[in-house]
Amino acid sequence: MARIIVVTSGKGGVGKTTSSAAIGLGLALKGHKVVLIDFDIGLRNLDLIMGCERRVVYDFVNVINGEATLNQALIKDKRVSSLSILPASQTRDKDALNKENVGKVLEELGKTYDYIICDSPAGIEAGAMMALYYADEAIVTTNPEVSSVRDSDRILGMLASRSRRAELGLEPIKEHLLLTRYSPKRVEEGEMLSVEDVEDILSIPLLGVIPESQAVLKASNAGEPVILDTESDAGKAYQDVVDRLLGETVEFRFLTAEKKGIFSRMFGG
Amino acid sequence: MAEASIEFKGSSFTLSVLHLKTSILADISADLAKKVAQAPDFFYLVPVVVSIEKLDCSVDYQAIKLLVESFDFTFVGFTGAITKEQRNVIRELGFSFVNTTKNSILEKSITTTVPAVENIPAVVAATPTPLYTDKIHRGQIRSGQQVYAKAQNLVVIGSVSAGAEVIADGNIHVYGALRGRAIAGATGHHKAQIYCQNLEAELVSINGNYWLSESMEQHWGAPAFIHLTDSELTSSKLT
Ligand SMILES: Nc1ncnc2c1ncn2[C@@H]1O[C@H](COP(=O)(O)OP(=O)(O)OP(=O)(O)O)[C@@H](O)[C@H]1O
Ligand SMILES: [Mg+2]
Repeated sequence: MARIIVVTSGKGGVGKTTSSAAIGLGLALKGHKVVLIDFDIGLRNLDLIMGCERRVVYDFVNVINGEATLNQALIKDKRVSSLSILPASQTRDKDALNKENVGKVLEELGKTYDYIICDSPAGIEAGAMMALYYADEAIVTTNPEVSSVRDSDRILGMLASRSRRAELGLEPIKEHLLLTRYSPKRVEEGEMLSVEDVEDILSIPLLGVIPESQAVLKASNAGEPVILDTESDAGKAYQDVVDRLLGETVEFRFLTAEKKGIFSRMFGG
Repeated sequence: MAEASIEFKGSSFTLSVLHLKTSILADISADLAKKVAQAPDFFYLVPVVVSIEKLDCSVDYQAIKLLVESFDFTFVGFTGAITKEQRNVIRELGFSFVNTTKNSILEKSITTTVPAVENIPAVVAATPTPLYTDKIHRGQIRSGQQVYAKAQNLVVIGSVSAGAEVIADGNIHVYGALRGRAIAGATGHHKAQIYCQNLEAELVSINGNYWLSESMEQHWGAPAFIHLTDSELTSSKLT
Protein backbone atom coordinates (compact mmCIF):
# COMPACT_ATOMS: atom_id res chain seq x y z
CA MET A 1 0.00 0.00 0.00
CA ALA A 2 1.36 3.37 -1.00
CA ARG A 3 1.82 5.96 1.71
CA ILE A 4 0.21 9.22 0.65
CA ILE A 5 2.05 12.07 2.37
CA VAL A 6 0.98 15.72 2.08
CA VAL A 7 3.51 18.46 2.72
CA THR A 8 1.41 21.32 4.00
CA SER A 9 1.67 24.51 6.10
CA GLY A 10 -1.12 27.04 5.79
CA LYS A 11 1.36 29.89 5.54
CA GLY A 12 3.16 30.44 2.24
CA GLY A 13 6.88 30.37 1.56
CA VAL A 14 7.86 28.29 4.58
CA GLY A 15 9.66 25.56 2.61
CA LYS A 16 7.01 23.05 1.49
CA THR A 17 8.32 22.65 -2.04
CA THR A 18 11.96 22.57 -0.88
CA SER A 19 11.02 19.85 1.61
CA SER A 20 8.87 17.83 -0.83
CA ALA A 21 11.74 17.74 -3.31
CA ALA A 22 14.40 16.83 -0.74
CA ILE A 23 12.34 14.17 1.02
CA GLY A 24 11.03 12.67 -2.23
CA LEU A 25 14.50 12.38 -3.69
CA GLY A 26 15.87 11.06 -0.42
CA LEU A 27 13.28 8.29 -0.24
CA ALA A 28 13.98 7.35 -3.87
CA LEU A 29 17.71 7.22 -3.18
CA LYS A 30 16.89 4.65 -0.51
CA GLY A 31 15.41 2.48 -3.24
CA HIS A 32 11.71 3.30 -2.82
CA LYS A 33 9.39 4.09 -5.68
CA VAL A 34 8.35 7.69 -5.21
CA VAL A 35 6.08 10.09 -7.09
CA LEU A 36 6.03 13.81 -6.33
CA ILE A 37 2.80 15.64 -7.18
CA ASP A 38 2.67 19.40 -7.49
CA PHE A 39 -0.76 20.52 -6.21
CA ASP A 40 0.13 24.19 -6.56
CA ILE A 41 -1.85 24.64 -9.78
CA GLY A 42 -1.10 27.93 -11.48
CA LEU A 43 2.36 28.42 -9.98
CA ARG A 44 4.47 25.41 -11.04
CA ASN A 45 7.39 25.36 -8.69
CA LEU A 46 8.28 21.79 -7.94
CA ASP A 47 9.59 21.09 -11.47
CA LEU A 48 12.00 24.02 -11.15
CA ILE A 49 13.38 22.81 -7.83
CA MET A 50 13.66 19.29 -9.28
CA GLY A 51 15.37 20.69 -12.35
CA CYS A 52 12.93 19.16 -14.85
CA GLU A 53 11.04 22.27 -15.96
CA ARG A 54 12.15 21.86 -19.59
CA ARG A 55 10.74 18.38 -19.79
CA VAL A 56 7.13 19.23 -18.96
CA VAL A 57 4.79 18.24 -21.79
CA TYR A 58 1.57 17.31 -20.03
CA ASP A 59 0.57 18.11 -16.48
CA PHE A 60 -1.67 17.07 -13.59
CA VAL A 61 -4.66 19.00 -14.96
CA ASN A 62 -4.34 17.31 -18.38
CA VAL A 63 -4.50 13.96 -16.63
CA ILE A 64 -7.50 15.02 -14.53
CA ASN A 65 -9.32 16.19 -17.67
CA GLY A 66 -8.47 13.01 -19.57
CA GLU A 67 -6.34 14.93 -22.08
CA ALA A 68 -3.28 12.82 -21.31
CA THR A 69 -2.52 9.51 -19.64
CA LEU A 70 -0.58 9.34 -16.41
CA ASN A 71 2.37 7.80 -18.23
CA GLN A 72 2.46 10.69 -20.68
CA ALA A 73 2.45 13.26 -17.90
CA LEU A 74 4.85 11.66 -15.42
CA ILE A 75 8.45 12.85 -15.71
CA LYS A 76 11.13 10.38 -14.73
CA ASP A 77 13.91 11.89 -12.65
CA LYS A 78 17.27 11.77 -14.46
CA ARG A 79 19.24 11.11 -11.27
CA VAL A 80 17.11 8.37 -9.67
CA SER A 81 15.02 6.10 -11.85
CA SER A 82 12.56 5.20 -9.09
CA LEU A 83 11.44 8.84 -8.79
CA SER A 84 8.77 10.54 -10.93
CA ILE A 85 7.26 14.00 -10.91
CA LEU A 86 3.71 14.94 -11.81
CA PRO A 87 3.97 18.67 -12.55
CA ALA A 88 1.30 21.30 -11.99
CA SER A 89 -0.15 23.37 -14.77
CA GLN A 90 0.86 26.98 -15.06
CA THR A 91 -1.97 27.92 -17.35
CA ARG A 92 -4.98 26.60 -15.43
CA ASP A 93 -6.61 28.09 -12.39
CA LYS A 94 -6.54 26.36 -9.06
CA ASP A 95 -10.12 25.11 -9.30
CA ALA A 96 -9.17 22.73 -12.10
CA LEU A 97 -8.92 19.78 -9.71
CA ASN A 98 -11.87 17.83 -8.37
CA LYS A 99 -11.97 15.28 -5.58
CA GLU A 100 -13.27 12.41 -7.61
CA ASN A 101 -10.67 12.60 -10.39
CA VAL A 102 -7.81 13.33 -8.01
CA GLY A 103 -8.85 10.20 -6.12
CA LYS A 104 -8.70 8.17 -9.32
CA VAL A 105 -5.22 9.46 -10.19
CA LEU A 106 -3.93 8.68 -6.67
CA GLU A 107 -5.42 5.21 -6.81
CA GLU A 108 -3.73 4.56 -10.13
CA LEU A 109 -0.37 5.84 -8.83
CA GLY A 110 -0.77 3.74 -5.70
CA LYS A 111 -0.51 0.60 -7.81
CA THR A 112 3.04 1.46 -8.85
CA TYR A 113 4.56 3.69 -6.16
CA ASP A 114 5.45 3.22 -2.48
CA TYR A 115 5.30 6.90 -1.65
CA ILE A 116 3.04 9.59 -3.09
CA ILE A 117 4.22 13.00 -1.93
CA CYS A 118 1.76 15.85 -2.40
CA ASP A 119 3.29 19.34 -2.41
CA SER A 120 0.42 21.54 -1.18
CA PRO A 121 -0.20 25.15 -2.12
CA ALA A 122 -0.29 27.67 0.72
CA GLY A 123 -3.54 28.81 2.29
CA ILE A 124 -6.58 26.95 3.53
CA GLU A 125 -8.65 27.17 0.36
CA ALA A 126 -9.76 24.51 -2.10
CA GLY A 127 -6.27 23.79 -3.46
CA ALA A 128 -4.76 23.06 -0.06
CA MET A 129 -7.84 21.05 0.94
CA MET A 130 -7.51 18.96 -2.21
CA ALA A 131 -3.83 18.24 -1.48
CA LEU A 132 -4.56 16.99 2.04
CA TYR A 133 -7.86 15.22 1.39
CA TYR A 134 -6.51 11.75 0.56
CA ALA A 135 -3.45 11.90 2.81
CA ASP A 136 -2.40 9.12 5.17
CA GLU A 137 0.32 11.25 6.69
CA ALA A 138 1.05 14.96 6.83
CA ILE A 139 4.33 16.78 7.11
CA VAL A 140 3.32 20.06 8.68
CA THR A 141 6.00 22.49 7.61
CA THR A 142 6.49 25.36 10.02
CA ASN A 143 8.89 28.24 10.46
CA PRO A 144 9.76 29.17 14.04
CA GLU A 145 7.60 32.27 14.17
CA VAL A 146 4.17 32.96 15.62
CA SER A 147 2.16 33.44 12.40
CA SER A 148 3.53 30.29 10.80
CA VAL A 149 2.84 28.24 13.92
CA ARG A 150 -0.69 29.63 14.10
CA ASP A 151 -1.34 28.65 10.47
CA SER A 152 0.06 25.18 11.04
CA ASP A 153 -2.29 24.81 13.99
CA ARG A 154 -5.14 25.78 11.69
CA ILE A 155 -4.05 23.20 9.11
CA LEU A 156 -3.85 20.54 11.83
CA GLY A 157 -7.48 21.30 12.60
CA MET A 158 -8.32 20.81 8.91
CA LEU A 159 -6.42 17.52 8.75
CA ALA A 160 -8.52 16.31 11.66
CA SER A 161 -11.83 17.45 10.23
CA ARG A 162 -11.75 17.91 6.46
CA SER A 163 -9.75 14.94 5.21
CA ARG A 164 -11.12 11.74 3.76
CA ARG A 165 -9.96 9.87 6.84
CA ALA A 166 -11.90 12.26 9.05
CA GLU A 167 -15.01 12.09 6.89
CA LEU A 168 -15.03 8.29 6.87
CA GLY A 169 -14.13 8.04 10.55
CA LEU A 170 -10.94 6.13 9.75
CA GLU A 171 -7.73 6.27 11.75
CA PRO A 172 -6.65 9.92 11.73
CA ILE A 173 -3.90 11.28 9.49
CA LYS A 174 -0.46 10.72 11.02
CA GLU A 175 0.98 14.13 11.77
CA HIS A 176 4.66 15.11 11.62
CA LEU A 177 6.17 18.45 12.55
CA LEU A 178 8.92 19.71 10.26
CA LEU A 179 10.52 22.89 11.52
CA THR A 180 12.34 24.66 8.69
CA ARG A 181 14.56 27.75 8.37
CA TYR A 182 15.59 27.23 11.98
CA SER A 183 18.23 29.62 13.20
CA PRO A 184 19.59 28.63 16.64
CA LYS A 185 21.36 31.96 16.94
CA ARG A 186 18.15 33.92 16.47
CA VAL A 187 16.36 31.60 18.87
CA GLU A 188 19.01 32.29 21.51
CA GLU A 189 18.62 36.00 20.89
CA GLY A 190 14.91 35.63 21.49
CA GLU A 191 13.92 36.63 17.94
CA MET A 192 12.47 33.25 17.05
CA LEU A 193 10.49 30.53 18.75
CA SER A 194 12.49 27.53 19.93
CA VAL A 195 11.84 23.93 18.97
CA GLU A 196 10.35 23.41 22.43
CA ASP A 197 8.04 26.42 22.04
CA VAL A 198 6.67 25.12 18.75
CA GLU A 199 6.32 21.56 20.03
CA ASP A 200 4.50 22.88 23.08
CA ILE A 201 1.99 24.83 21.00
CA LEU A 202 1.35 22.26 18.28
CA SER A 203 1.94 19.10 20.35
CA ILE A 204 2.62 16.74 17.46
CA PRO A 205 5.71 14.53 17.01
CA LEU A 206 8.80 16.26 15.66
CA LEU A 207 10.05 14.81 12.38
CA GLY A 208 12.91 17.17 11.76
CA VAL A 209 14.54 20.55 12.16
CA ILE A 210 16.08 22.06 9.02
CA PRO A 211 18.48 24.90 9.69
CA GLU A 212 18.36 28.17 7.78
CA SER A 213 20.98 27.58 5.13
CA GLN A 214 22.57 29.22 2.11
CA ALA A 215 22.73 25.77 0.55
CA VAL A 216 18.95 25.80 -0.04
CA LEU A 217 18.94 28.77 -2.37
CA LYS A 218 21.97 27.44 -4.21
CA ALA A 219 20.26 24.08 -4.59
CA SER A 220 17.02 25.49 -5.97
CA ASN A 221 18.85 27.70 -8.45
CA ALA A 222 20.70 24.63 -9.68
CA GLY A 223 17.58 22.45 -9.81
CA GLU A 224 19.28 19.97 -7.50
CA PRO A 225 17.30 19.20 -4.32
CA VAL A 226 19.38 20.20 -1.31
CA ILE A 227 19.55 16.64 0.03
CA LEU A 228 22.08 15.97 -2.75
CA ASP A 229 24.39 18.51 -1.13
CA THR A 230 25.57 16.01 1.44
CA GLU A 231 28.13 18.43 2.88
CA SER A 232 25.55 21.06 3.81
CA ASP A 233 23.78 21.19 7.17
CA ALA A 234 20.36 21.46 5.44
CA GLY A 235 21.20 18.44 3.27
CA LYS A 236 22.18 16.42 6.32
CA ALA A 237 19.08 17.50 8.23
CA TYR A 238 16.84 16.38 5.34
CA GLN A 239 18.67 13.05 5.22
CA ASP A 240 17.83 12.60 8.93
CA VAL A 241 14.18 13.34 8.13
CA VAL A 242 14.13 10.64 5.46
CA ASP A 243 15.68 8.14 7.86
CA ARG A 244 13.10 8.98 10.53
CA LEU A 245 10.26 8.59 8.02
CA LEU A 246 11.64 5.12 7.34
CA GLY A 247 11.39 4.29 11.01
CA GLU A 248 14.94 4.93 12.20
CA THR A 249 15.70 6.77 15.41
CA VAL A 250 18.07 9.58 14.58
CA GLU A 251 19.28 12.21 16.99
CA PHE A 252 18.40 15.81 16.21
CA ARG A 253 21.25 18.07 15.13
CA PHE A 254 21.76 21.73 14.30
CA LEU A 255 19.66 22.79 17.30
CA THR A 256 22.25 25.00 18.94
CA ALA A 257 24.29 27.90 17.63
CA GLU A 258 27.82 27.00 16.60
CA LYS A 259 30.13 27.38 19.57
CA LYS A 260 33.27 29.37 19.08
CA GLY A 261 36.45 27.30 19.01
CA ILE A 262 38.45 27.01 22.20
CA PHE A 263 41.14 29.39 20.94
CA SER A 264 38.84 32.15 19.90
CA ARG A 265 37.10 31.82 23.27
CA MET A 266 40.35 31.97 25.19
CA PHE A 267 41.62 34.92 23.25
CA GLY A 268 38.30 36.67 22.85
CA GLY A 269 38.36 36.30 19.05
CA MET B 1 -35.22 23.30 13.86
CA ALA B 2 -34.01 26.79 14.74
CA GLU B 3 -33.48 27.60 18.39
CA ALA B 4 -36.08 29.69 20.18
CA SER B 5 -35.30 33.38 19.88
CA ILE B 6 -36.12 34.09 23.51
CA GLU B 7 -35.83 32.46 26.88
CA PHE B 8 -37.16 33.36 30.33
CA LYS B 9 -34.85 32.99 33.26
CA GLY B 10 -34.87 34.23 36.83
CA SER B 11 -32.10 36.53 38.02
CA SER B 12 -31.49 38.69 41.03
CA PHE B 13 -30.59 42.35 40.65
CA THR B 14 -29.55 45.04 43.03
CA LEU B 15 -32.03 47.88 42.70
CA SER B 16 -32.31 51.21 44.40
CA VAL B 17 -35.35 51.51 46.63
CA LEU B 18 -36.87 54.90 47.35
CA HIS B 19 -38.56 54.79 50.75
CA LEU B 20 -41.41 57.24 51.07
CA LYS B 21 -42.18 58.55 54.53
CA THR B 22 -44.95 60.89 53.48
CA SER B 23 -47.51 60.95 50.74
CA ILE B 24 -47.32 64.74 50.40
CA LEU B 25 -46.03 65.18 46.88
CA ALA B 26 -44.56 68.65 47.44
CA ASP B 27 -42.36 67.36 50.28
CA ILE B 28 -41.21 64.35 48.33
CA SER B 29 -40.41 66.52 45.36
CA ALA B 30 -38.39 68.98 47.43
CA ASP B 31 -36.33 66.26 49.11
CA LEU B 32 -35.79 64.36 45.88
CA ALA B 33 -34.54 67.55 44.27
CA LYS B 34 -32.00 68.01 47.09
CA LYS B 35 -30.86 64.41 46.89
CA VAL B 36 -30.46 64.39 43.14
CA ALA B 37 -28.60 67.70 43.20
CA GLN B 38 -25.89 66.03 45.29
CA ALA B 39 -25.06 63.50 42.59
CA PRO B 40 -27.00 64.12 39.39
CA ASP B 41 -24.90 61.71 37.29
CA PHE B 42 -25.27 58.94 39.78
CA PHE B 43 -29.05 59.04 39.74
CA TYR B 44 -29.56 59.66 36.04
CA LEU B 45 -31.81 56.91 34.60
CA VAL B 46 -31.17 54.71 37.61
CA PRO B 47 -33.90 52.06 37.93
CA VAL B 48 -35.80 52.66 41.12
CA VAL B 49 -38.44 50.81 43.12
CA VAL B 50 -40.67 52.95 45.32
CA SER B 51 -41.44 51.58 48.77
CA ILE B 52 -44.77 52.56 50.27
CA GLU B 53 -44.10 50.58 53.39
CA LYS B 54 -44.42 53.61 55.64
CA LEU B 55 -47.54 55.07 54.04
CA ASP B 56 -51.26 54.61 54.64
CA CYS B 57 -53.77 53.78 51.92
CA SER B 58 -54.26 57.25 50.55
CA VAL B 59 -51.43 57.18 48.05
CA ASP B 60 -51.64 58.66 44.59
CA TYR B 61 -49.55 55.99 42.86
CA GLN B 62 -49.83 57.56 39.43
CA ALA B 63 -48.61 60.92 40.72
CA ILE B 64 -45.71 59.34 42.57
CA LYS B 65 -44.60 57.48 39.48
CA LEU B 66 -44.69 60.66 37.38
CA LEU B 67 -42.86 62.58 40.07
CA VAL B 68 -40.08 60.00 40.27
CA GLU B 69 -39.77 59.99 36.50
CA SER B 70 -39.62 63.77 36.39
CA PHE B 71 -36.26 63.46 38.19
CA ASP B 72 -35.00 61.17 35.42
CA PHE B 73 -35.21 57.96 37.38
CA THR B 74 -36.40 54.84 35.56
CA PHE B 75 -39.50 53.76 37.43
CA VAL B 76 -39.65 49.98 37.94
CA GLY B 77 -42.58 49.47 40.30
CA PHE B 78 -43.75 49.59 43.88
CA THR B 79 -42.77 47.55 46.87
CA GLY B 80 -43.69 47.30 50.53
CA ALA B 81 -47.47 47.16 50.13
CA ILE B 82 -48.72 45.30 53.11
CA THR B 83 -52.38 44.78 52.45
CA LYS B 84 -53.98 42.90 49.65
CA GLU B 85 -56.08 45.96 48.78
CA GLN B 86 -52.94 48.02 48.27
CA ARG B 87 -51.49 45.40 45.98
CA ASN B 88 -54.71 45.19 43.99
CA VAL B 89 -54.89 48.93 43.51
CA ILE B 90 -51.30 48.97 42.29
CA ARG B 91 -51.94 46.16 39.83
CA GLU B 92 -55.17 47.72 38.53
CA LEU B 93 -53.26 50.88 37.75
CA GLY B 94 -50.94 48.78 35.59
CA PHE B 95 -47.83 49.05 37.79
CA SER B 96 -45.72 46.14 38.84
CA PHE B 97 -45.39 45.13 42.40
CA VAL B 98 -41.92 43.90 43.39
CA ASN B 99 -41.29 41.63 46.37
CA THR B 100 -38.07 41.71 48.32
CA THR B 101 -36.50 38.70 49.94
CA LYS B 102 -35.04 40.58 52.87
CA ASN B 103 -37.09 42.51 55.34
CA SER B 104 -34.45 45.16 55.57
CA ILE B 105 -36.87 47.90 54.58
CA LEU B 106 -38.74 47.27 57.79
CA GLU B 107 -35.61 47.76 59.82
CA LYS B 108 -35.11 51.31 58.64
CA SER B 109 -37.52 53.63 60.43
CA ILE B 110 -36.12 57.11 60.25
CA THR B 111 -39.03 59.42 60.83
CA THR B 112 -38.03 62.34 58.70
CA THR B 113 -39.59 63.07 55.36
CA VAL B 114 -36.24 62.68 53.60
CA PRO B 115 -36.45 59.83 51.16
CA ALA B 116 -33.76 57.30 51.96
CA VAL B 117 -32.14 55.59 49.00
CA GLU B 118 -30.43 52.33 49.63
CA ASN B 119 -29.57 49.23 47.72
CA ILE B 120 -31.52 46.10 48.36
CA PRO B 121 -31.26 42.93 46.35
CA ALA B 122 -34.70 42.25 44.93
CA VAL B 123 -35.25 38.68 43.84
CA VAL B 124 -37.55 38.81 40.85
CA ALA B 125 -37.65 35.04 40.50
CA ALA B 126 -35.59 32.24 41.97
CA THR B 127 -32.75 30.77 39.87
CA PRO B 128 -31.97 27.18 40.71
CA THR B 129 -28.34 26.29 40.03
CA PRO B 130 -28.51 24.10 36.93
CA LEU B 131 -27.08 20.59 37.10
CA TYR B 132 -25.13 19.96 33.95
CA THR B 133 -23.67 16.79 32.52
CA ASP B 134 -20.22 16.84 30.92
CA LYS B 135 -19.32 16.98 27.26
CA ILE B 136 -15.85 15.50 26.90
CA HIS B 137 -13.57 16.49 24.04
CA ARG B 138 -10.41 14.45 23.60
CA GLY B 139 -7.52 16.09 21.80
CA GLN B 140 -6.36 19.58 21.08
CA ILE B 141 -8.82 22.18 19.81
CA ARG B 142 -7.01 23.98 17.02
CA SER B 143 -7.05 27.52 15.68
CA GLY B 144 -10.28 28.14 13.77
CA GLN B 145 -12.19 25.38 15.55
CA GLN B 146 -15.10 25.96 17.90
CA VAL B 147 -16.59 23.52 20.39
CA TYR B 148 -19.88 24.31 22.13
CA ALA B 149 -21.23 22.30 25.04
CA LYS B 150 -24.89 23.26 24.91
CA ALA B 151 -26.59 22.89 28.29
CA GLN B 152 -23.49 21.02 29.46
CA ASN B 153 -20.09 21.50 31.05
CA LEU B 154 -17.16 21.16 28.67
CA VAL B 155 -14.15 19.03 29.54
CA VAL B 156 -11.21 19.32 27.13
CA ILE B 157 -8.50 16.68 27.45
CA GLY B 158 -5.84 18.61 25.58
CA SER B 159 -5.03 22.24 24.92
CA VAL B 160 -7.14 24.96 23.35
CA SER B 161 -5.02 26.72 20.74
CA ALA B 162 -4.83 30.44 20.16
CA GLY B 163 -7.55 31.22 17.63
CA ALA B 164 -9.81 28.40 18.88
CA GLU B 165 -12.99 28.93 20.89
CA VAL B 166 -14.63 26.80 23.57
CA ILE B 167 -18.11 27.61 24.82
CA ALA B 168 -20.24 25.96 27.49
CA ASP B 169 -23.50 26.79 29.18
CA GLY B 170 -21.89 25.33 32.30
CA ASN B 171 -18.24 25.14 33.41
CA ILE B 172 -15.16 24.69 31.23
CA HIS B 173 -12.28 22.45 32.26
CA VAL B 174 -9.14 22.40 30.12
CA TYR B 175 -6.61 19.68 30.92
CA GLY B 176 -3.92 21.46 29.00
CA ALA B 177 -3.14 25.05 28.06
CA LEU B 178 -5.95 27.51 27.44
CA ARG B 179 -4.62 29.82 24.72
CA GLY B 180 -7.80 30.59 22.81
CA ARG B 181 -11.16 31.95 23.96
CA ALA B 182 -13.28 30.33 26.68
CA ILE B 183 -16.86 31.36 27.29
CA ALA B 184 -18.56 29.70 30.27
CA GLY B 185 -22.09 30.23 31.50
CA ALA B 186 -22.88 31.25 27.95
CA THR B 187 -26.65 31.37 28.34
CA GLY B 188 -26.57 33.17 31.67
CA HIS B 189 -25.14 31.28 34.61
CA HIS B 190 -23.14 33.39 37.02
CA LYS B 191 -21.77 30.45 38.97
CA ALA B 192 -20.01 29.00 35.93
CA GLN B 193 -16.23 28.65 36.23
CA ILE B 194 -13.28 28.10 33.92
CA TYR B 195 -10.42 25.82 34.94
CA CYS B 196 -7.18 25.25 33.06
CA GLN B 197 -3.70 23.93 33.63
CA ASN B 198 -2.04 26.85 31.92
CA LEU B 199 -3.77 30.19 31.61
CA GLU B 200 -2.70 32.00 28.44
CA ALA B 201 -6.14 32.78 27.06
CA GLU B 202 -7.04 35.42 24.49
CA LEU B 203 -10.35 35.94 26.26
CA VAL B 204 -12.30 34.40 29.12
CA SER B 205 -15.94 35.16 29.75
CA ILE B 206 -18.42 34.08 32.40
CA ASN B 207 -22.07 35.03 32.17
CA GLY B 208 -21.21 37.91 29.85
CA ASN B 209 -18.35 39.35 31.94
CA TYR B 210 -15.11 39.09 30.04
CA TRP B 211 -11.37 39.54 30.39
CA LEU B 212 -8.77 39.96 27.68
CA SER B 213 -5.24 38.60 28.14
CA GLU B 214 -4.00 41.75 29.83
CA SER B 215 -6.32 41.18 32.80
CA MET B 216 -4.95 37.69 33.42
CA GLU B 217 -1.45 38.80 34.41
CA GLN B 218 -1.68 37.50 37.96
CA HIS B 219 -1.91 33.84 37.00
CA TRP B 220 -0.57 34.03 33.45
CA GLY B 221 1.11 30.79 32.42
CA ALA B 222 -0.01 29.05 35.61
CA PRO B 223 -2.77 26.60 36.52
CA ALA B 224 -5.75 28.75 37.40
CA PHE B 225 -9.48 29.04 37.59
CA ILE B 226 -11.71 31.96 36.80
CA HIS B 227 -14.97 32.69 38.53
CA LEU B 228 -17.34 35.54 39.28
CA THR B 229 -17.53 37.29 42.61
CA ASP B 230 -20.15 40.03 42.74
CA SER B 231 -20.25 40.31 38.95
CA GLU B 232 -16.46 40.75 38.82
CA LEU B 233 -14.18 38.20 37.23
CA THR B 234 -11.56 36.82 39.58
CA SER B 235 -8.72 34.40 38.92
CA SER B 236 -7.36 32.06 41.52
CA LYS B 237 -4.46 29.69 41.62
CA LEU B 238 -5.32 26.08 40.97
CA THR B 239 -3.31 23.87 43.26
N1 LIG C 1 16.18 25.86 5.20
C1 LIG C 1 16.14 26.96 4.42
N2 LIG C 1 17.16 27.87 4.49
C2 LIG C 1 17.12 28.97 3.73
N3 LIG C 1 16.14 29.25 2.84
C3 LIG C 1 15.13 28.39 2.71
C4 LIG C 1 15.07 27.20 3.48
N4 LIG C 1 13.93 26.53 3.16
C5 LIG C 1 13.31 27.27 2.22
N5 LIG C 1 14.03 28.39 1.93
C6 LIG C 1 13.69 29.43 0.96
O1 LIG C 1 12.39 29.91 1.24
C7 LIG C 1 11.70 30.22 0.04
C8 LIG C 1 10.38 29.47 -0.01
O2 LIG C 1 10.64 28.08 -0.08
P1 LIG C 1 9.62 27.09 -0.78
O3 LIG C 1 9.30 27.52 -2.15
O4 LIG C 1 10.11 25.71 -0.56
O5 LIG C 1 8.37 27.36 0.17
P2 LIG C 1 6.85 26.91 -0.07
O6 LIG C 1 6.30 26.68 1.28
O7 LIG C 1 6.78 25.80 -1.05
O8 LIG C 1 6.25 28.22 -0.70
P3 LIG C 1 4.78 28.38 -1.36
O9 LIG C 1 3.86 28.51 -0.20
O10 LIG C 1 4.89 29.63 -2.15
O11 LIG C 1 4.54 27.15 -2.17
C9 LIG C 1 12.63 29.86 -1.09
O12 LIG C 1 13.27 31.03 -1.53
C10 LIG C 1 13.61 28.91 -0.45
O13 LIG C 1 14.86 28.98 -1.07
MG1 LIG D 1 5.60 25.63 -2.85
